[in-house]
Amino acid sequence: MECVVQGIIETQHVEALEILLQGLCGVQRERLRVHELCLKSGPSLGVVPSEVRLLCDLDQPDPTWTVKHVGGAMRGPGADQISVMVRTLIESKVSKNALRMFYALGYKLDHELLKVGFAFHFQRTANISVSVSSVNKMPKVHAIDEAVPVTPGMQIVDVTAPATPANYSEVAAAVSSFCEFLAPLVHLSKPFISTGVVPTAAAAAASLMSDGGGTAL
Amino acid sequence: MPVKWVLHWQPNQGSTVSSQILNEATQCVESINGVKEGRWKATLNYYKPLLRDQTNQAEFPRDFLGISLADQPNKYYFIIRSQRIVLEADSSIQLIMERLQSYKSKVALYFEGFQYQLGDFRLRVGKVVPTHSENVRGIVMEVEYLPISSMEKSRKVMEEFLEIWHEALSKRSLPGKFVNIDLNFGEFGLGDNYTPQHTAVRYALVMAHMIATVQAVRG
Repeated sequence: MECVVQGIIETQHVEALEILLQGLCGVQRERLRVHELCLKSGPSLGVVPSEVRLLCDLDQPDPTWTVKHVGGAMRGPGADQISVMVRTLIESKVSKNALRMFYALGYKLDHELLKVGFAFHFQRTANISVSVSSVNKMPKVHAIDEAVPVTPGMQIVDVTAPATPANYSEVAAAVSSFCEFLAPLVHLSKPFISTGVVPTAAAAAASLMSDGGGTAL
Repeated sequence: MPVKWVLHWQPNQGSTVSSQILNEATQCVESINGVKEGRWKATLNYYKPLLRDQTNQAEFPRDFLGISLADQPNKYYFIIRSQRIVLEADSSIQLIMERLQSYKSKVALYFEGFQYQLGDFRLRVGKVVPTHSENVRGIVMEVEYLPISSMEKSRKVMEEFLEIWHEALSKRSLPGKFVNIDLNFGEFGLGDNYTPQHTAVRYALVMAHMIATVQAVRG
């Protein structure tokens, strides 16, 4: 299970966001370079159609693979009252021939993306991860080196935190509370409910940049 | 990780496998001064595709196995032997497979028995039983040589150990023998340095041979 919010930010303001995050999180940023392959079951396979994601972390000297299954989001009045999305999520590290195995099982490549950027992982009541990345598509299958941005000039901000049925309320509150600090630069909301860029982001970014990033927050 | 061979009991033509043979094998280990260390257990699942259209069955693998090994409690291994695929994953992959609802475990087997220390060797002797039955379908024996991880470098000492083992067991006049199957791990993308993935592949091959033996007896 995880709590998740997303937002978009203009690339020109990413540096300011990084300065803000560095001050808030108090940890070193990590590089992010992930090849994400979305596989879907073939036409007759399965009780219902299914989807699974394979993530290859290209930032490691020896790329590492993870299989990810994202389930449905929590629904109902309770979910509507929470400003973050709460959804089931199961991950498993796997050895490098996971793609070959899923192809053999009858899964097909639906689409693939390359996410390039940076991330912060820190503890604030919950284990929170913030990533800022450009999402890139490939003109040919698996052609990572030829990837181009899907939305030039814009990057995606993801804030996620693992949760359990017992603690998702506290985790959601921790994520919401953290997101408020980012509000001058990026508006974060449930995925698929975009609120666009923050109109005053330019001013906020200018302030952060002129500050040299040295002010403690 | 130490090199491990996985042997399986091959009954003589006309005879079957039983708990008695497992008892004899266990006693034989103890007779050559094996020190009992405790129990061990592994679980194997045969997965079948769930199809909305049965006519396409041939498109999907018939030998998709999953196995959890006694040595690796947090890991799970998938093997599609016909395509020379072996995958190591976290145990949570089983939950992912359940959620996908594309494949289901149709047959589950336990490998369980006792573990022994014998000098630089670790031995595990166990029966193969369906999860909801005590019906012994086979007997396996793991032979692990602790000092060496290279399969080539350990070959000679493993063969010498097996000669000693076969000689000790032959005094019991049992209707069959333990067999080791050699295979080309390179076809599975595995190297000379031994890993749990090698063990998973060995178990898949053992199961294939055991099934072939049962089918031959029935035929």
